[in-house]
Formats: sequence, C-alpha cells, structure tokens
Amino acid sequence: MMGLISTNTFWTIWLFVHLILAVGLLGALTHQAVAVAMPAHRAAGGIVTRFRAVPAAGYATAVCVLWVLTFIVGSFIYTKYRIYIRIPLEQTGYYKTGGFFDFKEHVATLGLVLLPAYWYFWKNVQNPEYDNARKGVTLVLAVMCWFLFIVGHVLNNARGFAS
Amino acid sequence: MSTTTTTTPRAATPPSSLAASSKFKTFVTTFSITGPVVYCLVQYFNYPLITFHPATERLVWGYEAARSGEGPNMLWYGWTATTILIAAALGIIAMMLPERISRKLPLALVWIFPILAIPYIIYSLMPWWVLAAK
Repeated sequence: MMGLISTNTFWTIWLFVHLILAVGLLGALTHQAVAVAMPAHRAAGGIVTRFRAVPAAGYATAVCVLWVLTFIVGSFIYTKYRIYIRIPLEQTGYYKTGGFFDFKEHVATLGLVLLPAYWYFWKNVQNPEYDNARKGVTLVLAVMCWFLFIVGHVLNNARGFAS
Repeated sequence: MSTTTTTTPRAATPPSSLAASSKFKTFVTTFSITGPVVYCLVQYFNYPLITFHPATERLVWGYEAARSGEGPNMLWYGWTATTILIAAALGIIAMMLPERISRKLPLALVWIFPILAIPYIIYSLMPWWVLAAK
C-alpha cells in the first residue's frame, strides 16, 4: 500500500475516513438527541419539526457502530499525531490546542463506555422505566460528539491535512 | 400530506433476546456506570494495560516511561484497555448479585457520572493549561 501512494497520502486518507465516520455519527446523534429532547409527534411541518420527527430508536445500533469505528480509526491516526502533530504544536507554543486534544481523547473513552447502556435503553424504547436515562445518556453522548468534532476540526486547522 | 410518525415508537415490536435479558441489563448498566469512575481512577493512579512507543512502534505490557532517544510514550490506549477490562469485570460481578440488589442501581448514574468526570479530566490536564497561561 505504502509503495503505491506516499506516506502523506496514506495518512490523509485515514484522516478523511475518520472525518466521514465522524460526520455520520454527528448527524445520527444530533437527530436522535433533538428527537428525544423535543419529540415531535407528526412529521409534517417545517424543517425543524421534520428534523425532530425521525424514528430515533432506529439510530441506536448505527450510533454504536459509528462511535466504535470512529474511535478505532482515530486511535490509529493518533500514533502519528503524537509524533508529527503534537511535538510541533508544543514547540510552537500551541498548548491550549494540545490540551484540548488530550481532553478530546478522554471524552472519546468516556463516551465509549456509555455505549452498552445507551444501546440497551434504546432497544427497550417501549419501557417507560428507561425514558429519563435514555434521554440523559443520549444528550450527553450528543454533546460529547459535538465537542470531539469541533476540537478535531480546530486541531486539523492548526496542523492537519497535508502537514 | 401529513404522516403520523412518532419519534419514540412504543410499538409492539418486542426487544431482541439480548435486550430483553435482565442479566444483560445489569451488565451494561454496571459497565457504563462504573466506566467513567474507573477511567478517572486508572488515569489518576496510572495503570495502563499497555504502553505504546510510537517512534519505535514498541508495545509493552503495563507502564513504561519514555526512553531516552526513543520519543514519547502513549498511555491512553492502556488506560482505555484497563478501564474496559475492569468495568466488564464489575459488570460480570453485578450479574451474579440477586436481582433485588442489582435493580436498585439508579439508572441516572449512567449519564451523571460522565458529567462529573469532566472537572477531574480538566484538572488532570493542568500542565497544558499552566503552559498555555505563561
């Protein structure tokens, strides 16, 4: 593989894969979080109502799979980040950027360990006993996902693609 | 034309056998409740299952400090692996408890503990914030 494309291209492709998975995850979790926070009982209406009116339970397995895949690809890229991104960031005094990336890695793990309960609560959507826990864990995961996405985006702007 | 799609369909669709199992519920809720707490403790006491040295691509069991001339070490993989193993072990132990005990576990802790973990995580990154403030 490395003989066919340059090392830079190889890692850029993986960064794109990470990005695409993250976009899918962000979209699914945002739909679900809005649907659970402000449920709409009819799909008709404006774009906001339609956004809220998705069948939220159907997203649960996809969210778990996407979180795990994004996590695995991110972990793979992280090995290169540690050498080729973080060290130059430190040398150039981008300490807040580096700190927020470390914050991101911790949040990604915290989100990962929530997935089993999250999945269970959504698979038992017919049971009102889990309503509050399902709402809470979905909103927490959505906030985490937005945080991870924004930090990743800013970091990429600081030193990402093709650097 | 309007449709009547609801966002939380409490339809007659029964959950899968796994999702209907009370033992599985005990495992997943214990795993997810203890996970954030275990992660903070593992990070605080620094118990990574593995340490990775990215410059030399060397992987070792447990903790190993960065070695001179061999670049930095990476502990996050190890912290995550340790957390998953311990949380899974606690989940299995919880499954062995009588259901009258495991049912008492407040489900809200699943989302409260990760929120409570955030201040500690920010505090643990203090060296970065101190450098940034200089």
